[in-house]
Amino acid sequence: MDFTFSEDQLLFQESVRDFLVNEVTPEKIRESWESETGRSPELWAQLAELGLTGITVPEALGGLGMSALDFVLLAQECGYVALPEPLVHTALVAVPLLTDIGGELAAQWLPKIASGEARVVVGLSQNLLVEDAHTADLILLQQGDDIHALTPGQFNLRHNESVDPSRKLYAVEATASNIVCSDVAVITACLNRGALGNAAQALGLAQRMVDLAVQYTSERNQFGKPIGSFQAVKHHMANVAVQLEYAKAPVHRAAYAVANDLNSASENVSHAKVVACEAANLAAKNCIQVHGAMGYTWEVDLHIFMKKAWALANSWGDAGFHKNRINDFILRADTPLGAGNTFLN
Amino acid sequence: MKLSFSAEDEQFRGEIATWLEQNLCGEFEQLRGRGGPGDEHMYPDERKAWERKLAEGGWTCIGWPQEYGGRGASIEQQVVFHEEYARAGGPGRMGHIGEGLTGPTLIAFGSEEQKQRFLPGILAGTEFWCQGYSEPSAGSDLANVKTKAHFDETAGQWLINGQKVWTSNAHESEYCFVIARTDPESVGHKGLGFFLLAMDQPGIDVRPIEQLTGTSEFNEVFFDDAHCSAQDIVGAPGEGWKVAMGLLGFERGVSTLGQQMLFQNELDEIIRVAKLNGAATDPVIRQRIADAHVGLRIMRFNSMRTLSGGGDDGTLQKEAMIYKLYWSTWHRNLGKLAMDVLGPESEVLEAGPYELNRLQSMYLFTRADTIYGGTNQIQRNIIAERALGMPREPRG
Ligand SMILES: Cc1cc2nc3c(=O)[nH]c(=O)nc-3n(C[C@H](O)[C@H](O)[C@H](O)COP(=O)(O)OP(=O)(O)OC[C@H]3O[C@@H](n4cnc5c(N)ncnc54)[C@H](O)[C@@H]3O)c2cc1C
Repeated sequence: MDFTFSEDQLLFQESVRDFLVNEVTPEKIRESWESETGRSPELWAQLAELGLTGITVPEALGGLGMSALDFVLLAQECGYVALPEPLVHTALVAVPLLTDIGGELAAQWLPKIASGEARVVVGLSQNLLVEDAHTADLILLQQGDDIHALTPGQFNLRHNESVDPSRKLYAVEATASNIVCSDVAVITACLNRGALGNAAQALGLAQRMVDLAVQYTSERNQFGKPIGSFQAVKHHMANVAVQLEYAKAPVHRAAYAVANDLNSASENVSHAKVVACEAANLAAKNCIQVHGAMGYTWEVDLHIFMKKAWALANSWGDAGFHKNRINDFILRADTPLGAGNTFLN
Repeated sequence: MKLSFSAEDEQFRGEIATWLEQNLCGEFEQLRGRGGPGDEHMYPDERKAWERKLAEGGWTCIGWPQEYGGRGASIEQQVVFHEEYARAGGPGRMGHIGEGLTGPTLIAFGSEEQKQRFLPGILAGTEFWCQGYSEPSAGSDLANVKTKAHFDETAGQWLINGQKVWTSNAHESEYCFVIARTDPESVGHKGLGFFLLAMDQPGIDVRPIEQLTGTSEFNEVFFDDAHCSAQDIVGAPGEGWKVAMGLLGFERGVSTLGQQMLFQNELDEIIRVAKLNGAATDPVIRQRIADAHVGLRIMRFNSMRTLSGGGDDGTLQKEAMIYKLYWSTWHRNLGKLAMDVLGPESEVLEAGPYELNRLQSMYLFTRADTIYGGTNQIQRNIIAERALGMPREPRG
């Protein structure tokens, strides 16, 4: 039993963090809000260059052949900078779904994803809208029990603005039929990966909000002292710190279950999604409070991270959906009771 | 990362499970599931006998190094031990202060002579310990202890004078570790000593305090020229604070896993009752049960993550007692959940005079969880200042 990440995994995380913190600044994010697609082909090319778009693509098809467990720390870093590009979606959702579907489709698209030439996105019925459909070269769209593979010309898009200006959401209407998968297990695994990606990003978002608030409250003075020295302010932040720190292990545990295709994956993922998004929601709530009116402005960067946290909490299954999945497990008549029965699940 | 047990660990599991099955029976059968949170005043003598039984089987202090009589069990084996112990309904451990606090503290800070003298009684389940930290004027502000230790040159021993309070199980203990002031002029955490005192002596008077549960688990302890031999101070005079804080660090070790197993049993009991009385069909209760389950899992994963060295933020995990704040809050909520699952029945006592049922005593006991061992407010102060690095509060 070992809950640690390897030296390599940690080094990779560090180098990706350095890259993202330098390249994906709040200024760059604000610029992207003004651009037509909200997406940067240059940044995507750089991510491909670093091997990140193909990180989960099998080596034989031009990728790095890594797993959800290798990627989870990187997804946290994507959250930390509120990366607008759909890297987490690509690595955790689109690529594994294509890999599961396999065959011609996978052979055709995976190398192009790894090289950065193609963008592929997934829309499951669980989600109201499809992320990043406007720049997609291929959409894997769930219709009823089936997944269709659709290329531009085979669908119509209607744009919906998101509360998070970085998120690009579309209602997708298929104008053609091309069933490539009807396997419930594959679709469930895909949903789990989407939820895991949100959970991991939520950890990074929460950390960013904490960092911003700690810095702000150490600098802002009232009553002749930094406001961060007041207990009421401290306790707001301590509560976030505890929830955030304690949400990490469940997220890593879920990544392990997904990477190893364990039976417990759905329950582990739901657990991770619930607690990581709760931590991020609490971070949003308390960090804006300790900022005072400053936190309520468009100019201060806090809202970039708050809004993404709010949006991620309700996509790939909201809290109610995931808590129900947990409940179905614990309140089932045949769930064994007793300490230890579920210790590592 | 590897989240499974090895074949050897599973074999170890079989060993402890079999031993428990063969020994937690007969006279000990009545102890199954007893002596846990809110129930710790029950069957003290029988539970002490059980400690001796455990010791015979070599199941006390399994995490201690072999040179001190432990098994040097790996973290995995200790996890397995706690799982099987709780699964079998093993009673609340009378020896946990000695095994979990005194022992590790002596192993880390004690003299060879102290180890030779005090460790065997803990291992054998024959000598029990209590913790003499808090005083009337030293609660959250622990460094404000007033109890004094004076070295009597002629008799060649320490004389202790003063008062401790809230001392759990002082009336069931052979020994107490006491923080007292060796330098009468000193204030705060300087000038303290860490003493090992025998309880059975004329200079010590133990008086029970009745709790809101109607039972008595903690006490006032008065010291009137209580004796402590010259070699029974741990560390040098003036170094008591360092030892006292080192000890608190052990509180957050593997013993947390045993506690979580008890929590699991409590949650399971609540789920059982909820299924029985229909509360499990109430959507609000269902959500709260899911929350409780999720919170318990969080504690387990985190204990294992910390124990395997995976806490990437060392400060937060180790220094800041993040765990105490988390579990105490969780457990308090669990107590409330238990009452809400019972519904109107929750106020009806088992019998007079003031006989609480198990869930009721658990509920009341959880109200102490957020107070002892550092209140939630103090934990938050520490987390914000030490782990997040927020500006310090001016202290008088
Ligand atoms: C069941 C039980 C068993 C115990 N067993 C033992 C034992 O075996 N040995 C032992 O030594 N002690 C024991 N204790 C004592 C325990 O450690 C103390 O109760 C605890 O440290 C709090 O001290 P206090 O009760 O004096 O509260 P106080 O320190 O008086 O605190 C009262 C309130 O004020 C708040 N407060 C105080 N200072 C601050 C501050 N700086 N900032 C914000 N809020 C503050 C506290 O959070 C609390 O809400 C036990 C207590 C209980 C309830």
